[in-house]
Amino acid sequence: MRVLVRALVLVVLTLLIVALVPWQWYPRDWRVWYDKQFGATDYREAPATIPARPLQDSDYDEIGDICPPDLKGWRKAQTVAGIDILAEPGCLADNPHAIAAFVKGTNNVGHMTLMNARLSPDAVVKGRDLDQDGDPDEIHIRLEVFELNGASPDINEPVVQYSVAPGIKPGFWVFAPKSVGMSTENFESLIAQPGLRMPSPAIRVEQGDQIKVTLENTHYMPHTIHFHGVDHPFLDENGEGNDGVPVTSEKPLMPGKQRTYEMQPRQAGSMFYHCHVEVQAHILMGLNGLFVVEENRPNNWLQTFNIGDGLVRHPSVASKESYDREYDLHYQDFDKELGEAVQSSNDPRVITQRVHRQYDISQADFEYYMLNGRSFPYTARDSLIVTAPDERVKLRVLNAGSEGVALHTHGHKVTITHYDGVEHPEPARITRDVVWIASAQRVDLDLSTKDDGLHSYGPGVWLMHDHRERGVTTNGLGPGGNVSAIVYDKYLQDDGWPMTFGLDWNNFLAPEFYRRDSADGSTSLLESVEPYAISTLRILALTIVIGLLLGLLWVWTFVKKRND
Amino acid sequence: MISSFVGYFVVGVLLLYSGITQAQPEMEHHHHNDHHAMKMDETGMVMNENADKLPEDCSEIRREYQFEVTAGTEYAKPFPGTTFGFSDHQWQVEPCSRITVTFINQDRVRHQWMVHGLPKYLYDQGMFHMEAAGGHRQSGTFIVPSDDRTYLVHCDIAQHMEKGMKAQLVVGRGSGDLWSVPGVSATFERADETMPRWLWGAGLFCLMIAAGLVVVWKARISR
Repeated sequence: MRVLVRALVLVVLTLLIVALVPWQWYPRDWRVWYDKQFGATDYREAPATIPARPLQDSDYDEIGDICPPDLKGWRKAQTVAGIDILAEPGCLADNPHAIAAFVKGTNNVGHMTLMNARLSPDAVVKGRDLDQDGDPDEIHIRLEVFELNGASPDINEPVVQYSVAPGIKPGFWVFAPKSVGMSTENFESLIAQPGLRMPSPAIRVEQGDQIKVTLENTHYMPHTIHFHGVDHPFLDENGEGNDGVPVTSEKPLMPGKQRTYEMQPRQAGSMFYHCHVEVQAHILMGLNGLFVVEENRPNNWLQTFNIGDGLVRHPSVASKESYDREYDLHYQDFDKELGEAVQSSNDPRVITQRVHRQYDISQADFEYYMLNGRSFPYTARDSLIVTAPDERVKLRVLNAGSEGVALHTHGHKVTITHYDGVEHPEPARITRDVVWIASAQRVDLDLSTKDDGLHSYGPGVWLMHDHRERGVTTNGLGPGGNVSAIVYDKYLQDDGWPMTFGLDWNNFLAPEFYRRDSADGSTSLLESVEPYAISTLRILALTIVIGLLLGLLWVWTFVKKRND
Repeated sequence: MISSFVGYFVVGVLLLYSGITQAQPEMEHHHHNDHHAMKMDETGMVMNENADKLPEDCSEIRREYQFEVTAGTEYAKPFPGTTFGFSDHQWQVEPCSRITVTFINQDRVRHQWMVHGLPKYLYDQGMFHMEAAGGHRQSGTFIVPSDDRTYLVHCDIAQHMEKGMKAQLVVGRGSGDLWSVPGVSATFERADETMPRWLWGAGLFCLMIAAGLVVVWKARISR
C-alpha cells in the first residue's frame, strides 16, 4: 500500500515537472512528436507594448530654444569698423566684431571692437603692404590652446562646456585665436564663450604673405603645430625647427611657453594644420584646422579666422570672382573613451598617462561624427549650407578624422575642382554625388544650383551627409553624426531653421534620444516591448517541485533504513 | 559646508538653463560711463579698478596693502598634480582695506588674477580682474567691504584654475576656506583615489576573523 502511494506521489511530481519545464527547453524533435500527437499548445499572449513616451515639460526645458533668438543682431548683414560682413542665414552666427577684427587686424581696430570680439590686441597683427597692392602682407597670428568640457577638482560636471549634440559633451582640445578675459560666457556660466568651440578655426592667408604663427601654449600638455600642405621651410630664419614634428624638427612646446612658425606660401590652396605631438590622440582631440592660402589679388583683405568654420562672411577677392558664397566644411570623428580620459582625472600627470600611454587607438571604435564641430540635430543650427537657385557655392572640405568620409549630396552633383589644394585641369574634372575624402585630405567642390537635373534637381531641403552609415550616427544611434543639409533660401524660416515636412525636430533635440542606457528602449517616436521573459513564478514552482522530489527520494532511500 | 565656489557654479547651472544672455552688453555700457573701468593694451588689462570709492559699509580705509604676486608654471612645482600656479595662494587682509596688487607673469602665455564676489554696485559683475600677457606685469587697486569673507581669486583661462591657479583672499576672519586651493585646502572631488585590490582582500579577511571570534565567544558563553 505504502509503495503504491509513494509511486503515485512520484508520478504526480514528475508530471508536474514535465508540465512546468518551459516548452522551448525541450528538444525540437520531442516537440515535433508532441505536435503530431496532440496538435499545437495553447495560445499565449505576447508581452505588453510599452507606449512611446511623449515629450514632457522637463524635456522641453532641456531642449531650450531650438534656434536661440539673435538678441545681439549677429546674423544680419552689417558693416563693423568699416568691414562689410555678409548675413548669416543660419540660426547661430559668428560674432561680427570678431570677423571685422580678423579682417582689419586686431592691431587696426578700436578698443570697443576688440572688447566685443573678446580678442587680444595681438591676436592677428597685420603689417605692411609689401607688394603695394592694397592689402597687408605681413601677418602675425597668435594661437592659444583651450580645453573644452575639461575636468574640475570641485564639480562632477565638465567645465568650459561645448555641446556637439544634445547632452553630448566630450573632452576636446582646440586652437583658438588669442583672446582676453574669461573662457566662459560669464562668471555665472559654465558654457564656453562663443569664440571657443570645435573645430579649431579655419585660417586664411594670402599667397606670398609673410606669415608668422605664434603658438602660446595655454594648455597643461605639450603641443606643436605642423602646417600640412602649406609651403613652409624646414628650418626658420634662426635655424630652428619649423615643421612641428617633435622628433625631426623640434621639442614639444611645454605649458606656459610660446614658439613662432614662419612661412611665405608660394602656392594657393586648401591646406591643413594640426598638432604633431602624439598625433594618434592630439589630432583626434581637436587640435587641427583648415588652412586656406588664397590666391594673391589686389585689395584682398582676408578674414584670417573663420570661427567654427561654415560660411565665410567676408570672402576673398578670388572667391567673389567665381562664386556667390563660400563655405568651410570640417569633418571629424571622435572616440568617446579618449574624451573621457581628460575628464576622468584632474591630475595632469594621470591625464597624460591615460592619453599618451593607455589610450590604444588600434582598439578604438568611434562614437561621434561631426561637421564643423556639431552632430545632427545641432548641425541645423550652424552647419547648414544655405543657397538659392542659379548660384555657385564653393565648398572647401577637410576630413580631419581618422576614417574616410563618403560625402553625399542629396539633390545635387558637385564638381571637384581641387585635390589637396592643387587645381584639377578643367576638362578632366569629375562631377559626382559621392565624394570620397581620405584622412587629412582636402577637396574643393563647386556646388552649382542650376536646376538642370544634373547639378541640381531644384530647390528644397537636401540632406548632405557621409554615406558610410556609421557617419550618420551618434553613439551608434541615428539620425545623428555629420548629417547636415543644403537648404534653399525659400525653405529657410526667418529664424534660420529649415522648413521641414517630416518628424518633429524636438524628438532629436531632447538629450534622452542619444542616451543608450535608457531603461526600456522606448523613445518619443518609438514604442518598446516588455521583456519576453519566462515567468518567474513558473521557474520558482519548477525548482520547488524538483526540490520536493529530490528531498522525498532522499528521505525514502536513506532515512527509512536507519529507522528500521 | 559647501564652499561658496561650488555654490557659484550651482547658481551658474541654474542661470544657464534659464537662458540668460551674455553679460557683454553690460560691460560695454559700463565702459561708456566710466573710462577708468578698464585699461587694456598688448601687455594685458586691468578691469574695474577702484582706488577711491568706499563700499557702503566702510566709513574709511582701514589699512593699505601692497602685494606682489608672481604667476607661472614655475609655481606649480611645490604642488604635485598642478601645472600652473601663483607665488602665493592666500592673502589675509583687514576689512575695508585698500589693496594694490602687482601681478607679474613669468610665463610666455596670458595669466589672470581675478577676484570674485565683490559688491556689484562698485565692481561690474562683482569682480576685479587683471590680465598680464606673457612676460608682462599689471598693477591695480581695489577696496574690500567690511564683512568677514573669503574671496575666490583665480585665472579663468580654461583649465588654469583647475590645474593650480586658484587662491583665496581672506578678509577679516574670512568665511571658511575654499576647496582645492593649492597648499591650503583639499579638493572637493577626488575621483583618482581608489582602494587597492589587496586592501579589499585584507578587509574581507579581517571581517571573517571577527565573525569567527564572535562565534567562539558565543559558544563559550552558552557552555
